[in-house]
Amino acid sequence: MRKPMLIVLIAVACWLVPDSARAAELHVPENAIAGQPVSIAVSGEGDAVFYLVGPGQVIKRNVKLGNDVQIKGEELRTAGRWIAIVRSGGSPQSKVFWVKPAQPENLSFLARPSRVPVNQRDAISGTVFVFDKFNNWVLQPTPINFSLSVNGIGISRTVTSRNGVAWIETSSAPREGAAQFVASVGTTSVRRVVQQVASQPCNLRIHLAQHTQDRIIVETDPVRDCTGNAVPDGTIVTFIQTDRRGKSTVDARIKKGIARAELPASDNAMISVAAGDALGNELHVGGGR
Amino acid sequence: MKLMRILVLSCGVVLAISGAVPLLVHILADTKPSIQINFDNTGPRQIEDTTQKAIVRDYSSAWQAMNTALANNNTAPLNQNFVGFALERLTHRVKDQQSTGVKTRLVDHGHKVEAIFYSKDGSAIQLRDIATIETQVLDGDTVIHSDQTQIQYWAVMTSTEDRWKVRVLESSPQ
Repeated sequence: MRKPMLIVLIAVACWLVPDSARAAELHVPENAIAGQPVSIAVSGEGDAVFYLVGPGQVIKRNVKLGNDVQIKGEELRTAGRWIAIVRSGGSPQSKVFWVKPAQPENLSFLARPSRVPVNQRDAISGTVFVFDKFNNWVLQPTPINFSLSVNGIGISRTVTSRNGVAWIETSSAPREGAAQFVASVGTTSVRRVVQQVASQPCNLRIHLAQHTQDRIIVETDPVRDCTGNAVPDGTIVTFIQTDRRGKSTVDARIKKGIARAELPASDNAMISVAAGDALGNELHVGGGR
Repeated sequence: MKLMRILVLSCGVVLAISGAVPLLVHILADTKPSIQINFDNTGPRQIEDTTQKAIVRDYSSAWQAMNTALANNNTAPLNQNFVGFALERLTHRVKDQQSTGVKTRLVDHGHKVEAIFYSKDGSAIQLRDIATIETQVLDGDTVIHSDQTQIQYWAVMTSTEDRWKVRVLESSPQ
């Protein structure tokens, strides 16, 4: 009599155990998107505690088994790996699911440098990281438009992001000015300013401004770079005077576009000028002048 | 009498194991994870040797800090290693964990990382990381979820005054 009873009890237990294991079963969403509400079905009967653990958020609430748990969009803002857990009388049940980023809406734009000489090859770089409105990184390929212009004239290029990153490298324009460097996706655009300044002096010319018994004053023509931009005031121009007494050197700063130097008087001197890599004309003072 | 001895001995062994396991888990959580980074396929700029060493050191340190913060519900370790969106996100998670009484233990079994982008100006690096991680979620001291799996992470690290910090950290399906 005992044996059949035992067999019946084991059979009942075997029938109940899987049933109790199913008591709180989770059905998680397969295509959840950040910021969009989802419902998670929790089967079973009775009361339970429901947990949702995500990359940047954790939710814990009491639920009734058998009802769907409604998760608001604001509770599901972070993309990545989420774990849904339900804990009732028995052992906790859990499921992992993924939340994808929403549409690209934000750009993190690194533009370098902030100041650059004109007409320099590949001198400006821009890197964009693509995010959705909840600052989730959008890894899907996304076309990003880059434009760089001074006074409305410049270049525009579209680059498709790869693994959430898009970048370009471009040359600075021939004209100085504040270049507007803009990266945009959809209706979102981010602007940076790259100040393009005159490059090195080019075609330096000097002339004699004054020659007295005591001194010689020489000055440059307006100092410009090779594309005609005025070299900024403060740039140093070196004047060198060579005569029978030796060599005199004067470093003068450009002021109002012109550099000017006062040199010792001489009856037979050669004066030359240089700034950066540029050498100017030579001037012979005295003698056969 | 012999049975009694065995019983007492068994109880002792069980007690020792029950004490040692949480201790071991804590030790693992406070140890720098093993990080292997491949810098061979990085573009558009090559990563300098000193920067490579700094990235390995600081990425490893960031993971250690995150594990400690999530296991102890303490945001302090995050500030030294994270900035920007990653810091905001992790800080928010720790605060949520504090308010719900939940903790997360990450038993880190190592990372195979590839540096895939290094910006031209040398200010930002993108990493793709295949991390082998055991995740335990606890309510109080009760483990309510445990799994071990490989998770793909994408990270952006940017240079700051004295170190590289994780600015973005996001997991995605492989």
